[in-house]
Amino acid sequence: MVYTPMNYRFLFPLLLLVLPAVSAGEDRDATQIVRDAVNHWRGLSSYTVMTMVIHRPDWERAMTMQAWTKGDEQSLVRVIEPKKDRGNGTLTDENSMWTFSPKINRVIKVPSSMMAQSWMGSDFSNKDVARADDIIDQYTHSILSTSVEDGLTVYEIESIPYEDAAVVWGSEVLTIRDDHVVLAHAFFDQDGELVKTLKSLEIADMGGRTIAKRQRMVKTDKPDEWTEIAVNEVEYELDLKDSVFTLSNLRNPRD
Amino acid sequence: MRMFVVLSRLAWRYLWRNHRRTIVMLSAIAVGAWAMIFMTALTRGMVDQMIVDGISVIPGHVQIHDPDYLDDPSINNRVAYSDAELAARFEDLDRVAWAARVRVPAVVTSERESRGVTLLGIDPEAERSFSFIDYDAVDGRFLEGPDDNGIVLGAKLADTLETRVGKRVVVMSQDPENEIADRGFRVVGLFHAEMEATEESLAFVGKRTAQKMLRIGDSVTEVAFVGDDYRDVEPLYSKVVERVDDAVQVSRWTEVDTYLGTMMGMMDGFMLIWVIVIFLALSFGLVNTLVMAVFERIREIGLMLALGMKPAMILGQIIIESMMLLSVGLLIGDVLAWATIKPLEGGIDISIVAKGMEMFGASSVLYPNLDVDDVILANVVVLVLGFFASLSPAWRASRYEPVEAITKV
Repeated sequence: MVYTPMNYRFLFPLLLLVLPAVSAGEDRDATQIVRDAVNHWRGLSSYTVMTMVIHRPDWERAMTMQAWTKGDEQSLVRVIEPKKDRGNGTLTDENSMWTFSPKINRVIKVPSSMMAQSWMGSDFSNKDVARADDIIDQYTHSILSTSVEDGLTVYEIESIPYEDAAVVWGSEVLTIRDDHVVLAHAFFDQDGELVKTLKSLEIADMGGRTIAKRQRMVKTDKPDEWTEIAVNEVEYELDLKDSVFTLSNLRNPRD
Repeated sequence: MRMFVVLSRLAWRYLWRNHRRTIVMLSAIAVGAWAMIFMTALTRGMVDQMIVDGISVIPGHVQIHDPDYLDDPSINNRVAYSDAELAARFEDLDRVAWAARVRVPAVVTSERESRGVTLLGIDPEAERSFSFIDYDAVDGRFLEGPDDNGIVLGAKLADTLETRVGKRVVVMSQDPENEIADRGFRVVGLFHAEMEATEESLAFVGKRTAQKMLRIGDSVTEVAFVGDDYRDVEPLYSKVVERVDDAVQVSRWTEVDTYLGTMMGMMDGFMLIWVIVIFLALSFGLVNTLVMAVFERIREIGLMLALGMKPAMILGQIIIESMMLLSVGLLIGDVLAWATIKPLEGGIDISIVAKGMEMFGASSVLYPNLDVDDVILANVVVLVLGFFASLSPAWRASRYEPVEAITKV
C-alpha cells in the first residue's frame, strides 16, 4: 500500500488547484495570442500609409490614407488621395467616432444608429474601425487547432462573444501565426455559417516587423465584392502627441 | 292645417301619376342615402379600429413625461420621479393600471441587417393587463421580469433581420452623455400584432436591463395609465394631475399621438363633407325631376291658379312633393343600409388590400360601425338641402300667369 488515506487527503486539494489552472491556462494562452496579435499589428503607437481598394462588379475605386494609432483607444485616419476625397477623416477615441468632411466643413459624431453602416463605402463597418480591440475583451477565446506552416506554428482560435457583448457574430475564427501575424479572420453567423472573411494575401517585413501587407475582406455570398487594404508604409513606436487625436486636428491637419 | 292636408294629398297623387319617373328618382335617392350611410359606417369602423389599435400600442390613456419629452423624445428628458416616488404617488389610484417604462429610439442589428426601432424597457407584470401583446401567445416566451436579459421582437422585424428565437441581436442607442450604449440580447420571443408596422417598429426588453444599458439609474421616460374608456379620459386625467407637481407633464393620449387624436375629430367633419358631396350629385337629379314635373303640368297649374289657388300654395305643393319624394327615398335607403351593415358587423376581411390599409394604420379586418348620429346627419342634410334645391322649380311654378299658362300648348 503506497497511498494511505492521508496521502489522498493531501493530494486532493492539490489536484483541485492544478486542474482548473491547466484548462484556464490554455484559454489564457488563446487570449494572449489574440492580444499579442492585436498589439503586434498596432504597436504602442503607429503611423501607416495605406491604400484601400473597394471593388464591385461594375466599378472599383482606390483611396490612399494616412493613419495614426496610439494605445488601444485612439486612432485617426485621413484620406490623401484621390483629390476629391482629400481631407475626409475619421477619429476614434474610446468607443466614440467622429468624421470630418472638408466639403461640408463639419465634424460629425457618428451616432450609434450609424455604427453598423459601411465605413467610407467599404466592406468594413464603422464599428469595425472604432471598436477593433473589442476582440480582446468581449470574447472568450479557445484554440481549435495548431499546425505548422513554413516552420512557424499556426493557431486557429475560435472567439465566441459574451452573451451581452455588442457583437452580432456567433463566432469568429482567427488564424494567427506564431510571429503574431493574423493570416485570416473569419466571421460566422449564429448558425455557424461563414458570412465574411478577412484574409491576409501578402505578408512582408515592414517597419521592423513582419505584418500582413495586403488584406482583403470578402463577403461569402458576394465573392466579387471585396475591399482590400494594402500597407504602403508603416512606422511603429513613434512618439505621437495626444494633440494628434483631437477634433481640431481632425478638422485642421497640422503636420 | 286643412290646407296642408289637401296639398299633401294633391302632391302624393301627382307623384304617382308619373310613377315611372318617381320610381327612378326614388331609387336614386335610396342608393344615395345607402351610400352615405354605408360608407360612413365603414369609415367610422375603420377609424375606431385605428384608434383602438393605436391606443393599445401607445399605450396608456394618460401618460406622464418630462415637460420636454414630447417635443424631444430623447433619453435626456426623463421623468423626474424615482421608482419609489412613483409608487408612493400612484398606488392609491383605483381601477387604474399603470406602468413606468423606458422608451428610446434604438437600432437593432443582426448578422445581416439592421433596423431602427423603438426600444421599450418594461416591467412585464405591470403591463400585462393592458398590453396589446398576449404574453401567452408569443412565439417563444415573453419577458419574465424587469431584469430579463432577453429581447422580444415583432415577428415581422425578426424576418427582416433574418433572426429568430434563440439567436442574439445587438441593440444600440445613446446614453445621456451621448455616448453609444449597446449590448447584445438573446431573442427570447416574437410577438404578433394586428399591424405589420407595429411588429416592425417595437422591441421589448426588461426595464432594469434597459436602464443598465442606457446608464440611467432607475429613472424612466414615461409612465402610462390605463383607465376604463379611451373616449372619456378626463376623470383619469384629473386624478393623475392631482398626484403630480410641475416637474412632469401629464398628457391625454390625444396629445401623445396627435395623429390619432386629430383623426377622431376629423372623422365628424369628414362625414359631413361626404354626405354633402353625395347630395350634390343627387340634387341635380332631384331638381331636374321637379323641373320636369312642373313643365309637364303648366296647364294644370294655370288652371288651378285661375280657379283661385294662391301662388303660395302652388309653391307649397311643389315643395311638399319634393319632401315626400326625399323622405320615402331616404327611408328606403336607411333600411337598405341597415340591412347591408347588420350582417357585416362580424367584420369584413379585406386582407387582399391589407398592405395599403396598413399604410395609414388600419387593420385588415373592417368592422362597420353604424352610428345613429351619422344616420340622422345624413337624413337631415338631405332634407334640408333638398328643400332649398326644390325652391327654384317651385318658385317658377307659382309665378305663372294663369291665362298664359292655360293657353300654353
